[in-house]
Amino acid sequence: MELKLTNIKKSFEEKEILHGISFSVESGKALGLLGRNGAGKTTTIRIIMDVFRANEGEITLDGEKFVPKSNQIGYLPEERGLYPKKTVTEQMVYLANLRGKNKKDALESTKRWLKRLEVDEYASRKLDTLSKGNQQKVQLAATLVGDPEIVILDEPFSGLDPVNSQILKDVIKELIAEGRIVIFSSHQMSYVEEFCEDIVIIDHGDVVLSGNLDDIKTEYGKGRRIISANNLSLEELKAFCDSKLSDKVTVHDMNKHYVILNVKDGVTQWQIFDALKENNVDVKTFGAYEPSLNDIFVARVGEEEENEAKNENEEEQPKKKGLFGRSK
Amino acid sequence: MKNFKTILGFELGNYFKSKSYVISTLLICLVCAIIMFVPRFINSDDKKDNDKEISSENTGEDEKKYMALYDKSGIVDMELLAGYFPGVEFKLFDNAEDVKKTVEAEEAEAGYVVNSLTDYDYYVFNRSMFDENTTSFTEFMSMSVKMNYCDANGLDRDEFLALEYAEINVNENVLGKDSVSNYFYCYVLIIIVFMLIVMYGTTIATGITNEKSNRSIEILVTSTSSTALLFGKVFAGAIATVFQVGLIGGSLLGSYHINKEYWSFDIGQFLNIPSEVIVAFAIFGVGGFLFYAFMYGALGALVSKIEDLNKSAGTAQMLVMIVYFITLIQLSNIDGVAMKVCSYLPFSSYSAMFARVAMGSVATWEIVLSAVILYASVAVMGIIGGKIFRASTLRYGNPIKLTAALKGLRKSE
Repeated sequence: MELKLTNIKKSFEEKEILHGISFSVESGKALGLLGRNGAGKTTTIRIIMDVFRANEGEITLDGEKFVPKSNQIGYLPEERGLYPKKTVTEQMVYLANLRGKNKKDALESTKRWLKRLEVDEYASRKLDTLSKGNQQKVQLAATLVGDPEIVILDEPFSGLDPVNSQILKDVIKELIAEGRIVIFSSHQMSYVEEFCEDIVIIDHGDVVLSGNLDDIKTEYGKGRRIISANNLSLEELKAFCDSKLSDKVTVHDMNKHYVILNVKDGVTQWQIFDALKENNVDVKTFGAYEPSLNDIFVARVGEEEENEAKNENEEEQPKKKGLFGRSK
Repeated sequence: MKNFKTILGFELGNYFKSKSYVISTLLICLVCAIIMFVPRFINSDDKKDNDKEISSENTGEDEKKYMALYDKSGIVDMELLAGYFPGVEFKLFDNAEDVKKTVEAEEAEAGYVVNSLTDYDYYVFNRSMFDENTTSFTEFMSMSVKMNYCDANGLDRDEFLALEYAEINVNENVLGKDSVSNYFYCYVLIIIVFMLIVMYGTTIATGITNEKSNRSIEILVTSTSSTALLFGKVFAGAIATVFQVGLIGGSLLGSYHINKEYWSFDIGQFLNIPSEVIVAFAIFGVGGFLFYAFMYGALGALVSKIEDLNKSAGTAQMLVMIVYFITLIQLSNIDGVAMKVCSYLPFSSYSAMFARVAMGSVATWEIVLSAVILYASVAVMGIIGGKIFRASTLRYGNPIKLTAALKGLRKSE
C-alpha cells in the first residue's frame, strides 16, 4: 500500500495554511511528520482523515482516490480525549462499533488491545479514575481497536514513564512489522529516529525537507568533520581552526563534545589532520559528522526562519522609504 | 448515516444511565403524583373548617364587616342594599367627612356618599386587587333607579323584577371549535413544547460542547460522519424527552385517577382534547423540537467551552422566545394575519399552526402545507447543522460566529 499526498492546499477563511504539501508513505514503514507548532501537521493529518477537505490537490491509496472508511484509519490525537465518565470497555466497544465491528468483535478487539497495552485490569473502571499514563494507553487502545490499516500517532509518548514508553515502542514496532502504514508526529526526535525510515518536515505550510532519514543524514553530514583535542578546550580549538585552518575549513558549529567543521572543496581529511599535527594539536577525536535529526530539524527550520526574516526585511524596505518620502 | 443506530443507542444510554436524568425524572414524577394527592388531605381539613364555621355562626362570634354610608338625598332603600351586600352592616353618617374619617381610621372597610340616584362617591383605604365593592354598589344604584321608576309610574315592583330576572335556558351547540374550552390546553401545550425545546435543546448543545471541550470529538469525527453524529444525538434527545414527558404525564394522570373524587372540579374536562388536536400537537411539536434541536446542536459545535455556550445558543434561545410570546399574545386573535404568517414559518409553525388547529379555522391543505414546510426545514436544518458541526468541531479557541460558519459553508460548497 502506498498513501500519496500531492500538492495539498488548504485555506481557512482568507488565510492559506497549507501551500502545496506532497509526500508519500508505504505500508510496513513509518513516516515521521515533523514541524514546529502551527506548521500545518495537524491540518495535514485531518485532511488525510477527510475531516477537513483540501482546497486543492489529491490523496491516493495505491493510485486510487482515497476516501477513508471508518475502520481504515486509527488516529491518536495530540489532545487526548475520551469520555471521562464512561468505563474503558464501554467507550472502546462504542468506538469499535463506529468503526464497523459488530458487538462480539468489538468486545474481543477491546479485550485484546487492553491486554496488549497492559491495561486490561482497568477495563471496567471509569476513565477519569485512571492515572494519566494509563489513560494514555487506553487512548492508544481506542485508536487501534478498529484494527486500522493506517495508524496516525500524534505525540504518542507524551505523559508516559519509561516502562510504559517501552510497551508503546513495542506496539508501534509490531504495527510497522504487520505491514500497516504508520504516520508518526512528534517533537521528540529520538523516537522519530527510532521508528521512522522516512521523514517530512513541514514549516509554515510547506514541505521544507522530505525523504529517507539515512539519506538525509548522510547528505547533511557530507563535507563535515567533528574534532576535539586533549590539549585544547573546545573554545580554543574553535579559535585555532578559525585562525590557522581557515584555508581548509570553516567552523560550522560547536556542541558539548566537538567542534563541527565544514571542509572546503578539494581538501582531504589527511591534509587537515597533518595541519593539526604540525600545530601540536593533540587530537582526541577526528571523524565524519553524523547529524542527529534534531540538528537537521533545527538547521532546516532555522534556515527557513532566517530566509523568511530576510524576505520580510526586504519587503519592508520600500515601505520605510515610502514613509520617509511622505514625511519629507 | 451508517452509524446512526450505534450513535443513537450510545446517546440514549448516556441519558438513561445519567444520574441527573433518572433522579430528576423520578423526582418530578413523585412531585406530580403528590400534588394530585393534596386535595385528599385538604378536603379533610376543609371539613373541619366547615364544622368550625357552623359552630361560630351559632355562637355569633363571627367577625362582622362594616361599611360607612351617607345618604345625602335620602334615596337609599336599606333593605334592597342589604341584598347586594350580604353579611355587611352599614353605619349611617350625617356628612361625607365622617364617612371619610371612619374609612381612614379603618373602622369601616369602605364608605359611600350617595349624592343622587345616579351619582355616588366611594371611599376605601387600601384597595385590594379583587375589590368589587363599586360593582355591587353600582348594581344596587341601578336597581334603585329602576325601582324608583316603578314607584313613580305605578308599576308593580315584583312584576318588574320577574321580568328583569327572567330565567333563560341556553343550549350551547358548538359546531366548529370551542375556543373557550380549547384555550386552556392549547396554552398549556404551547408552554410545554417551549420548555422542552429550551431545556433539551440546551442539553444537546451542552453535550456537543462537552465533547469538544474534552476532545472526544477528535476521535468521534474521525470514526464516523458528523451528520450521523448530530442526527444520533438529536434523535436520542427527542426520544429521551418523549420518554421523560410521558412518564411525568403518566404519573400525573395516574395519581389524579386515584384521587379523582377529592378534586372539586373535573380535570378531565381539560384533558378531553380532540383527537385532531392531539395529532397536530404530535406532528408540529415533534417537528418543532427536531428543528430547534438541530439548530442547538450546530450552535453547540461553534464553541469549545461550556461558559461560551450562552453566547452561541442565545440565537436559538432568542428565536424560540420571540415565537413563544407572539403565539401566546396572538391566541386571542387566532385567525389574524400574524398567526397565519407564523403558522407557515418553520421557526414558529410548531406552536402557531398547532394553536390554529386547536382554536381557529384552518383548512386541511394549510395544515399539510405547513407540516411539509416544517419537516423539509427539519431535514435542511439537519444537513446544514451537520455541515456546521463538521466544519466547527475541530476548530478550538474563540467561539466561531454563526455568520462566519455559514460563510465558510458557502465557500466550501
